[in-house]
Amino acid sequence: MQGHDDGEPTVRIREVKKDRVNFVLGNVDLAFANSLRRVMMADIPTVAIDMVEIETNTSVLPDEFIAHRLGMVPLVSANCDEAIRYTRDCVCLAGCSFCSMILELKVSCHDDNTMDVTSDHLEVVPFPPDEESADPGEELSKRGEWFGHPVGKHDRNVPPVLITKIRKGQELKIRCIAKKGIAKEHAKFSPCSAVSFEYDPHNKLRHTTYWYETDIKGEWPLSENAKEEEAPRDDEPFNFNAKPNKFYFEVETDGSLGPQEVVMKGLAELQTKLANLILGLKIGGADQIDIMPDDVPVPHVPPPDNAWSGGDPNTWGMHAGSASGGSSSGWSQTSPTRGGAGSQWSNDASWGGATGTAGWASASSPQTNGWKQ
Amino acid sequence: MAETVEKIKLLKSSPDLSAATYQIHDESHTIGNSLRWMIMKNPKVEFCGYSVPHPSENVINIRIQMYDNASSVDALIDALSQLDKVCEAVEDSYLASLREGKFERWEERY
Repeated sequence: MQGHDDGEPTVRIREVKKDRVNFVLGNVDLAFANSLRRVMMADIPTVAIDMVEIETNTSVLPDEFIAHRLGMVPLVSANCDEAIRYTRDCVCLAGCSFCSMILELKVSCHDDNTMDVTSDHLEVVPFPPDEESADPGEELSKRGEWFGHPVGKHDRNVPPVLITKIRKGQELKIRCIAKKGIAKEHAKFSPCSAVSFEYDPHNKLRHTTYWYETDIKGEWPLSENAKEEEAPRDDEPFNFNAKPNKFYFEVETDGSLGPQEVVMKGLAELQTKLANLILGLKIGGADQIDIMPDDVPVPHVPPPDNAWSGGDPNTWGMHAGSASGGSSSGWSQTSPTRGGAGSQWSNDASWGGATGTAGWASASSPQTNGWKQ
Repeated sequence: MAETVEKIKLLKSSPDLSAATYQIHDESHTIGNSLRWMIMKNPKVEFCGYSVPHPSENVINIRIQMYDNASSVDALIDALSQLDKVCEAVEDSYLASLREGKFERWEERY
């Protein structure tokens, strides 16, 4: 713990597993470490089931329930940057092979025992040729063998995700459309199931206050990370100039991306944000300096990769995962006014997005998917 | 998309841009706090602060005030490129640590 940060940032990887990486980040500011954490949780694109058409559902769960559960299934999203487009950036009208994947779930139970319907029953099907767009694109060739498939489908050691259970005579016939998105839009797109982040395990900086009954040390056991730092003496005076300098990360993924990929993509995503800002300054900035004090409108900058504009206005089918609504906002700001919609930010039409994001608003068109309002 | 919005715009400033408030579109605390920290490291900066004016509007405001009538745009651009370098340095040192391989490895990575 130093009063100033000196020298290059350091990274020490402590542990690598298939689904997680544990590392210590040093010599950076708390603000930067937090940016990295936020960006890994909320800004990395993945694919997830976004729209669900239900042809038959005779199971005990209602359609929305199943649609929501399908949205949560992690899909293999390696190389998502190159392998798939956002539908809003695509030339197609409502989805094509460049910006979406189709998964089908067709199961029926003919057995006397209860049958588990799991993510292993989801089959990726090729796009029908008539919906194929003629647009040339390299996306398809950039996809790995299992891109868009449920995580663990081809690995016997990974247990599948249970979607529902059906008994004899019950049937599910569902067509799902998976799209690319980021977790700010809906938490199902987050590649991370958890990111643990700790600094100052001895609480020398007094950034937190522990509640206790009688004995603070007995009631608040130290974390493993406390071994990395020297414990303060009991009579040590409080150093109000001290700044946190070591940050303990553990990035745990849901399998849609590898943990290494999440960290690297997180850093790359931060750099993209900075680059977009510099670009915005360079384009708008030059004029600002000339014509400064009056409020002359500055030339418009092409909106870089706008994640906020919501989904496609022409959505049909219900929004997978939207039933959760509030749960999508794992971080600070939750908009209380839009409980149901997946996107927290979507409620400003002037941002140029479709006003009703592909949420309930558009799902309510009567002929959507056979369920009556 | 009906209308495009500029990524960054000037809300208020002194005529020489030595003190200015910028509004950045589609950004949050993720960039705001890091950027504020990096701008404050510049000794020519007298004051820098940021805010998210409203949680349901996805914009941040950054206020920069400079000493000696220096340009706040320069400070902003410098800070952005320095943050970029921090990202690169972290990435390099992450990869270096990965190559060194002094960590516990459990299962085979795919």
